Amino acid sequence: MFKKILIANRGEIAVRIMRTCQEMGIATVAVYSEADRHALHTLSADEAMPIGPAEPSQSYLNMDRIIEAVKQTGAEAVHPGYGFLAENADFAERCEREGIVFIGPPARVIRELGDKITARRIMHKGGVPIIPGMLEAADDPAAWAAGAEQTGFPLLIKASAGGGGKGMRIVQRPADLTAACRAASREAAAAFGRGTIYLEKFLPKSRHVEIQIVADSRGHIIHLLERECSIQRRHQKIIEETPSTALTPALRAAMGQAAVAAARTAGYVNAGTVEFILDPEGRFYFLEVNTRLQVEHPITEMITGLDLVRRQIEIAAGRPLSLTQEEVRGRGHAIECRIYAEDPERNFMPSPGRIAFLREPAGPGVRNDCGVYTGFEVPVEYDPILSKLVVHAETRDLAIRRMTRALKSYAVLGVRTPIDFLLDVLASAPFQAGETHTDFIATHLAEWVPDREALELAALAHAADAMAPKARPAGRIAAEAHPGPWHTLKHWRL
Amino acid sequence: MDVRLRHNEKIIAFSVEPAGDGRFSATFGDRRVDVAFERISEHQLRLSVDGCQTLAFVAETPEGKAVMVDGRTFLLADERAAGTRSRPGAANGPKAVTPPMPAVVTQILVATGQAVEKGQGLLVVSAMKMDTILTAPFAGVVTRINVAEGQKVAPGQVLVDLDPPAADPPAADRAAEPAADAASIDQGGR
Repeated sequence: MFKKILIANRGEIAVRIMRTCQEMGIATVAVYSEADRHALHTLSADEAMPIGPAEPSQSYLNMDRIIEAVKQTGAEAVHPGYGFLAENADFAERCEREGIVFIGPPARVIRELGDKITARRIMHKGGVPIIPGMLEAADDPAAWAAGAEQTGFPLLIKASAGGGGKGMRIVQRPADLTAACRAASREAAAAFGRGTIYLEKFLPKSRHVEIQIVADSRGHIIHLLERECSIQRRHQKIIEETPSTALTPALRAAMGQAAVAAARTAGYVNAGTVEFILDPEGRFYFLEVNTRLQVEHPITEMITGLDLVRRQIEIAAGRPLSLTQEEVRGRGHAIECRIYAEDPERNFMPSPGRIAFLREPAGPGVRNDCGVYTGFEVPVEYDPILSKLVVHAETRDLAIRRMTRALKSYAVLGVRTPIDFLLDVLASAPFQAGETHTDFIATHLAEWVPDREALELAALAHAADAMAPKARPAGRIAAEAHPGPWHTLKHWRL
Repeated sequence: MDVRLRHNEKIIAFSVEPAGDGRFSATFGDRRVDVAFERISEHQLRLSVDGCQTLAFVAETPEGKAVMVDGRTFLLADERAAGTRSRPGAANGPKAVTPPMPAVVTQILVATGQAVEKGQGLLVVSAMKMDTILTAPFAGVVTRINVAEGQKVAPGQVLVDLDPPAADPPAADRAAEPAADAASIDQGGR
């Protein structure tokens, strides 16, 4: 097993990875930018290496600096977390070349699956159902028109290098095709340096259901059930749960088998996620493979009782996956809420700033993967995720109640968070009924305004805060009011 | 003692009558509530409102006092101190080109002396992986660019000075709101 691992990431995910390393007796190295000198992940590691300015391209995305930090500290492996270099095939390749173990799939697999159209072709060949549409990317109007003819409307334009909704567009009518394709292609070129796009059938009223897979280097592949991730804003997930209310045992087994087939076809090693779109008739289609640890991996850990990071590290170290498909059992229900620094009242606009006060929820079945603390200045340069609040309970109904209680006891003051919004999603009738589709927020909460029932109580608290004498630091009071034994026992020694 | 607090656009007005020994009564219109309070720590208070106990968490922020009660967080600004603590951006008038949140300038789209149309993109700021285009609140001429690419900026800070054409003063209809729906470019997606 490795003696030392460098975590090439920041925030909550770096902290979470370090926790498993500590439990495994592996020393940890944090890397940090100038903005993160006092970040929780920097403070949580056994060693911390500065890697440059706040700007991500000069620090967390700077391969030279990270490789240098690995060599300087003598770490044997790198865990990339999610985001930053996690799905960068060049980085994985560089690690391979330099004799550093990259905790993730081989560079070739990252490269092939990172190109969406290549991934589609691989899956199609492997017998995994894909969304009807083009199998070749194109950049000329004639090919788009032919593709549209074959796909039918409404359709979805996607960038072959895509990610995060960039270059994505829904087209309802043939008349809008060329203009929309041109705009999407421009956007893709600006974002990814490559303007090739392809067309897929657009599936309205669908769900986003993904399957966690784990594969060792000897070809043993299993799946760890599904995650339902349909509640999204701006194509970004905000609530995830498992099991999905839409899966029957038969459908779950079929999707699990498809995910394992996808992993096998791609030559996958380590933990990964196969994303599917599920239509109202229960037909599922391959969407993409995320070749890394997923943000929402904790809900899988909650219901399976497995530590995914530990499995990742063991597989990267060449150990066999000592777990069979039959041994994987989901128990109860888990929900995750992402706590971002953003303002749900202003279209989820980012809200960086200083955390003036933080009080984390606790209690049975509550886990908060948090990357910040009271007094921390949340930088403007990075992803706005502060923490992921996860609950586990016996049933979905109990999990919703548990999450509601946990959210209500979660105080994050100083930056805006969507906690109020999340509470209203959980309380809504369609969510409680399990009617979670990708259009959920647009359909049910487009006109959302915060609940003001407690406003008067808040005003009373404001008045009380102004009237109550400010507390002095506890140590000082003690010293002034009651001289301690260190003051009164002159020459006495222990 | 009359208290006037503001939550977004809503004013909460009530009067407070101290009753000594950690107690006061508050009157909202013709309704009176009795409150007992005690500070537990710098950011934590115990309140008892008409005998019902609740915990409140409080912290001063640049936008007012953040108060969390009953699982909900409110930003409350003291109206009596409104002159010194108004909402960021408002101080410079609704016509100023200022970022809606702390951000980094990633791109400047115009040059000094350039004539711009209302709604034209002036610069791009980025915060937490989301790009926002700040647009001209009215047609005019760019007289000065106050920032450079890569610079950190804050709400209230005027990034670009804009002069309206002399013959056509700006109609005071709309604030310089960044068009979050239309102009934001999301880079997220995980």
